[in-house]
Amino acid sequence: MKRIAARSVYTLIVLLLSSIAVFYAIRLSGGDAVSARLPASASYEEREEFRELLGLNDPVHEQYFRYMGRLLTFDLGKSLTNNADIFDMLTHHGKNSLILGAAAFALVFAIGVPLGILAAVRRNSWADGSVMTFSVAGMAVPNFWLALLTVWLFASTLGWLPSAGCCSFKQLILPAVVLAMEGIALTVRMTRSAMLENLGQDFVRTLRAGGLSETSIIGKHVLRNAMVPIISLAGLRIGQIVGYALVVETIFGWPGLGQVLVNAVLRRDYPVAQFFSLVLITIVVLSNWLADVGYTVANPRLRKS
Amino acid sequence: MSAATTATGAAAAANGSTDAPVLSVRNLHTAVATPEGSFDVVRDVSFDIRPNEVLCLVGESGCGKTITALSIMRLLPTPPVRITSGEIVFDGTDLTQLPERRVRDVRSERISMIFQDPLTSLDPVFTVGQVMTEVIRTHRDATKAEARDMGVEILRAVGLPAPEERFDSYPHELSGGMRQRVMIATALVLDPEILIADEPTTALDVTVQAQILERLRAEQQDRNMSMLLITHDLAVVASIADRVAVMYAGEIVEEAPVDELFSNPRHPYTQGLLRALPHASRKRRELVPIPGLVPPMQMMPPGCRFAPRCPHALEQCWTDHPPHEVEAGVGFRCFNPQPF
Repeated sequence: MKRIAARSVYTLIVLLLSSIAVFYAIRLSGGDAVSARLPASASYEEREEFRELLGLNDPVHEQYFRYMGRLLTFDLGKSLTNNADIFDMLTHHGKNSLILGAAAFALVFAIGVPLGILAAVRRNSWADGSVMTFSVAGMAVPNFWLALLTVWLFASTLGWLPSAGCCSFKQLILPAVVLAMEGIALTVRMTRSAMLENLGQDFVRTLRAGGLSETSIIGKHVLRNAMVPIISLAGLRIGQIVGYALVVETIFGWPGLGQVLVNAVLRRDYPVAQFFSLVLITIVVLSNWLADVGYTVANPRLRKS
Repeated sequence: MSAATTATGAAAAANGSTDAPVLSVRNLHTAVATPEGSFDVVRDVSFDIRPNEVLCLVGESGCGKTITALSIMRLLPTPPVRITSGEIVFDGTDLTQLPERRVRDVRSERISMIFQDPLTSLDPVFTVGQVMTEVIRTHRDATKAEARDMGVEILRAVGLPAPEERFDSYPHELSGGMRQRVMIATALVLDPEILIADEPTTALDVTVQAQILERLRAEQQDRNMSMLLITHDLAVVASIADRVAVMYAGEIVEEAPVDELFSNPRHPYTQGLLRALPHASRKRRELVPIPGLVPPMQMMPPGCRFAPRCPHALEQCWTDHPPHEVEAGVGFRCFNPQPF
């Protein structure tokens, strides 16, 4: 419990620091928010007036405190480009991202763990060889290229699946698989090595001496031991998925948070960009916190300390 | 009938016990496959375990004691280690021929084994009780509540304080001695006929060692169980054994009742071991080490495996392999036994 409390405090500090970093990064990155909203023909006076209105001429730290104050009262503001309510954007695009992200996250473990177990149990067989080849390929192929490749094969050539769009089940398959691929590849490797490491432990021999079946020894005891590192790194998989979502959502035209953020940054839509950056950072930081909690729960040696 | 059978038969007669053995190992060869070829790590090993006795298997590390025990339990890491020939007869069946599924029925239910390092030998992410319950319910029709009762009772029997609480503990919450008691309890919960204990006290503190040995001896007598105790510690042998088999380089070089072995060892290796042992009552002050080292398995001499280190080696010892001889209930492999 002490461990979890300590991690929680640490998580809050990281969130605070990253909110400051995001705020400064957007303001120091060049470009002009004003041109996102005003026509190119707007005069100098009109631009200054608009800056004053947004408070962009104030010192950055003042802007920061003002913004954080509004965030705490759930006043998220509106988009500079189309005046859309940011809270509505969050619920609408957030739902889409959640569907895609959850599908990818589920695939990572639903495919990665069984393949890893198979590779470990049939070590050095052709099955192990093919699984490990697949895993190396999955890590090596960049996901934007994999996305284009799958669109070419399954959409253009075979015509089995739609190439883009939202939000039917068929449209979900390609982006979810592409988003999950690197996570699957890593999970396979990690499961395999964790299984092999634990299969060589003395306790396996004790369990065999107890007359337990290989199914129980491998499927229950060794797997449960092997899951400790896998669960503890599950949070990192969430972070990875959030990061890759920017690319994958853009390529597949999946209207999620990543797509919104990419567009907002390109258009210097400050309120949208900084809010959604904060959202993604919060997800990543919270998933790391969750990983710590998960590790503590999965590992009885840490539970009571 | 092989020489070994005669030896154990004669030893039984000398011991005043004529009971049929519970387990007979006959001419067991266990080999390890390496890139340079296959080598016997256990060579032509024969011995009997009789009802209610403690047989100690003694020898230095790497001499094949553990491999012999794992061969009986069919727990060898195969590949690369496997039984190449010989029989292990238990209750009329040859364990070496049993399919894996049938071997599982024997393990723990009829022959149990405990291991050297109680820290790494217990599953860290399950409680003592979860594993014990699983072992019980694998072999018996028992409800979880019945399994719990059996588990708590045996934990109490092996002298674990607060057994109800300990049943729900994880191994890391227990001390080394407590863990070894847990391992013993799990091994005994199904009341096996034979307990194989592989250096059960080596990883423990000296004071705890004595308690564990005492507990093992008491359980062995209470349950009318036979025990095969593997150790390199002659003090342990002296305190617990009925009979002793001494192993050297994969072979049993001498087998005798414990008193006979300590007072009148035949084989020069056994004699060497005893001379290297500090003894309060013996006049000899100086400890005499055995010169040289065990040859690596790729370079085993064709004759007696002990010949290169033996002070009494004859010409014959370098060329011929000594057979298992028997003299007054003591079996040994030596062409030139010397009085001690």
